[in-house]
Amino acid sequence: MKLSTHEEKGVVIISPKGKIMGGPDATMLHDQLHELIGQNKKRVVIDLGKVDWMNSTGLGILISGLTTMRNNGGELKLANVTEKIQSLLTITKLITVFESYDSLEEAIASFK
Amino acid sequence: MKKIIKKKNTISIPSSLDYLKDVDFFVEKKLKRIGLNESQLADVAISVTEAVTNAVVHGNKGEPNKRVWVNLEIKPDEVVITVKDQGNGFDPSAIPCPIEKENILRKVGRGIFILRSLMDQVDFIFKPRGGTLVRMIKYLNSRKSSSR
Repeated sequence: MKLSTHEEKGVVIISPKGKIMGGPDATMLHDQLHELIGQNKKRVVIDLGKVDWMNSTGLGILISGLTTMRNNGGELKLANVTEKIQSLLTITKLITVFESYDSLEEAIASFK
Repeated sequence: MKKIIKKKNTISIPSSLDYLKDVDFFVEKKLKRIGLNESQLADVAISVTEAVTNAVVHGNKGEPNKRVWVNLEIKPDEVVITVKDQGNGFDPSAIPCPIEKENILRKVGRGIFILRSLMDQVDFIFKPRGGTLVRMIKYLNSRKSSSR
């Protein structure tokens, strides 16, 4: 998994690429999310458009990021959720927990 | 101890999640050759990484001197994957249901639920002298995959 981050209109966008399955790569995403709290950046979108798939470790990282953000008065939203990940979010009922948008633009605009 | 051992349809790794992507690469490469579609491939790959994570973390408890084996058996109408560890086993029925309201926000505990959702058949076999074997089957004409 590769990870890139940029900021747009006061929203931090994290764009992982590849597979999120645990091991050293997943730690990178977890650490990145928790670093943002330290920097007082509380509006975050994870762009999943280039993620092939994730397993329960990946879902756990998203939940950890979401709860950490919410506990600190922030919010984490998802954009461009692929069919496979959407399916995982549905079967695990996490679809009810995350706010997700069809595009990055919509996700960013939702913070206003 | 040799780190990764590969035979024709078997890969063996030390108990560390650092080797998870090596297992995934090995499994996906074998399965691409037999023409699984992208959805089926992802279902199997996710399930294998779930089973190997469980084997490393809960089975072998990360002990570096223990190993995990993954074997593929490719049949005309199904793929059978076994993941074996050297741990003391566990009770799958004791794992809290991750889709119950009180468990939804838990960071862990979804692996076996996901594995059972994506594969067509999953069995846990506990060896009397130690070691757990997870046997998973994906039917190649599975409705589970074609619907996703």
